[in-house]
Amino acid sequence: MATRHADFLVLGAGPGGYAAAFRAADLGREVVLVDPRTALGGVCLNEGCIPSKTLLHAAKVLREVNDLADWGVTVGKPLINLDRLRQRKTAITQKLAGGLAGIANQRKVTVVKAFGRFTGESSLEIAGEDWTFGHAVVAVGSAAIRLPGWPEHARIWDSTIALELREIPPSLAIVGGGIVGLEMATIYSALGSDVTVIELSEQIVPAAEAEAARMVANALMARGIKIHTATAVLAVDARGDHLMLSCGGSFSGEIGASVVIQSIGRAALGGSIHADLAGVEVAGNGVIVVDRSGRTSNPKIYAVGDVTGAPMLAHRATHQGKIAAEAAAGHAAVLDTDIIPSVAYTDPELAWAGLTSGQAQAEGIPHKTISFPWSASGRNLASGGETGLTKLVYDPQTERLLGATLVGANAGELLAEIVLAMEMGATLTDIALTVHPHPTLSETIAFAAERALGTLTDL
Amino acid sequence: MRNVVATPATRALARQKGVDLEALSAKLGRVAVASEDILGQSSASVFSTGSNYWDVDHARFGPISEDPLSRFAQAAARNLTASHATIPAVTHHDRADMTAVESLRVQFKSQAEARGTKLTALAFHIKALARTLEEFPRFNASLSSDMKTLILKNYVHIGIAVDTPMGLMVPVIRNADRMGLWAIADQIADLASRAQSQKVRSDEMGGASMSITNLGSIGGTAFTPIINPPEVAILGITRTEAVPVWNGETFIPIRMAPLDLSYDHRVINGADAARFVKRYADLVADPRRLLV
Repeated sequence: MATRHADFLVLGAGPGGYAAAFRAADLGREVVLVDPRTALGGVCLNEGCIPSKTLLHAAKVLREVNDLADWGVTVGKPLINLDRLRQRKTAITQKLAGGLAGIANQRKVTVVKAFGRFTGESSLEIAGEDWTFGHAVVAVGSAAIRLPGWPEHARIWDSTIALELREIPPSLAIVGGGIVGLEMATIYSALGSDVTVIELSEQIVPAAEAEAARMVANALMARGIKIHTATAVLAVDARGDHLMLSCGGSFSGEIGASVVIQSIGRAALGGSIHADLAGVEVAGNGVIVVDRSGRTSNPKIYAVGDVTGAPMLAHRATHQGKIAAEAAAGHAAVLDTDIIPSVAYTDPELAWAGLTSGQAQAEGIPHKTISFPWSASGRNLASGGETGLTKLVYDPQTERLLGATLVGANAGELLAEIVLAMEMGATLTDIALTVHPHPTLSETIAFAAERALGTLTDL
Repeated sequence: MRNVVATPATRALARQKGVDLEALSAKLGRVAVASEDILGQSSASVFSTGSNYWDVDHARFGPISEDPLSRFAQAAARNLTASHATIPAVTHHDRADMTAVESLRVQFKSQAEARGTKLTALAFHIKALARTLEEFPRFNASLSSDMKTLILKNYVHIGIAVDTPMGLMVPVIRNADRMGLWAIADQIADLASRAQSQKVRSDEMGGASMSITNLGSIGGTAFTPIINPPEVAILGITRTEAVPVWNGETFIPIRMAPLDLSYDHRVINGADAARFVKRYADLVADPRRLLV
């Protein structure tokens, strides 16, 4: 069989892969995009970001409609047609995947539905065929980590299965109180499950500001979601019709649930592609080691996205993908920023970028913090919002913004202003003197800055 | 956290043009750097490697081949560029009478062989430099990063420039002021050989009071060495030769080593430099002076 050649070959069509592929095509490369799924878009589009946000939207509206009863508008108990909800989720992901296929077509990218594995420094085997390549980008992503020693069981799910929306379990235990676990909790609680979240660390979303994590936890608990932090699952008994979790730590005792979701993190899949045959260095945890342009130890091979390790976020993958395509084309392209925003699309949302006060403290970086409580935000109250917070971390000498955390509706959207401000080296005065529209949630950012400067008249 | 404030677009432009933002910021004397500052760097600027002067299709003129610079070489290029651009450097030329040193080398030769030590003139130079640095504390110093304070050092570490296949390396002899001649000679041989095989440890690099760059074994009558920041001076030495010196009545041949002291004029002025080199040359001319 003749060997096929790809000028620019991408393994994986998730956010990192398709960004690299389409950018390379725009730079004049002939691109081959390899992915085992029928639909492009990887985990993010098909079983991650997009499906979860679709269901979280439904959850949020359900909650808001329920709360409207206090406003004199009673809608009665909603009827949930799970099949219809699932179909809507699928329709949305299919529409987006179709869009990507259209873009691939328009840019003359060859799409191959298969797994690819390296066979040498510039060669691959794809579905039994031999290929050589000019440059390759590994964007094979990550997979949910399964807790060791747990049995296989139809009602022990990971996030992928949870998003399939097979059923609304009467009781649900979620092991892992990070962003994914809390989003699952938000969805299923709104759909009617009795939810308990179990988290090993002292707080949910361990990387976030402690104050913000507490605020989100309180809001979730006020809605009936039980949360146990500093608690470990010591054993699981799957023999009965209920799953029994034996817990130890801050909460000690048995938790029974009809379904358990494991959401303890994701592992990079660098070990799945015979990287050693290509001279690509892979760490023990499956992470492919790269420099800031995405180059691996083989100069012809780049790696982007989750397979390059934390933070495993689609927007980091997208930027890395473009940079890899540019670097391979000879541009001086580098991911030269460490400011990668994080968002938990819970209800209320939690979003942050840059330094938290905890990190600044731990790294000995001089800093001050200032907050604006959303209980004093007109827009928040008018929108039926609950607790919320805008918290800024800044350099006490230069007043430059070092980081920020937001809790409340649309926190994820509001964060973009903060990230831009930090990239531009903005100071508190820059933010305070920028006219923010009223009444909005965004003005809480300006209010926090004004509060630090002593010019606030709204508190 | 970055010390330079530059927007993402400015940072990307700097990368494209090969401009070192930290060095440019230091040169401009301000933290915020804009795209105009980068574009304003003329083609003749030492920062710009993506400028018109280098953007030439050399193959038009004949066959060419390409030799990519190693990361080590690229890093060295950036450091040298920054040093040359930001330090107002002057080089003071003088020479030292090597008669006594050469005589001592001959006298110590059999002892050296017995010890298995290679005793070169460089060992004597380092001893003299260590003493001179003790007597001229402002040469054994570095400016603080905000350029407002001169940090004086209570230690004497001497960097020795070694030409290796990977490029120029400067391993450091720690506490040369407290070491005897044999110890210094052994250190020179050890560091130089390990530098050749890239086996110098990271704790053996950096933190020098001053560096010596000795081209004497190769040749030359003078050069203008580039200061190794954050040091404030560097001593260059070229080939010792017999030169005619007027003794009042006639020319006599004296074996002299040319000395080239490049110094940071923000910290050291011409008179200080001249005094420093004169004292250094006096110590070399009569090493007994090191005893008192």
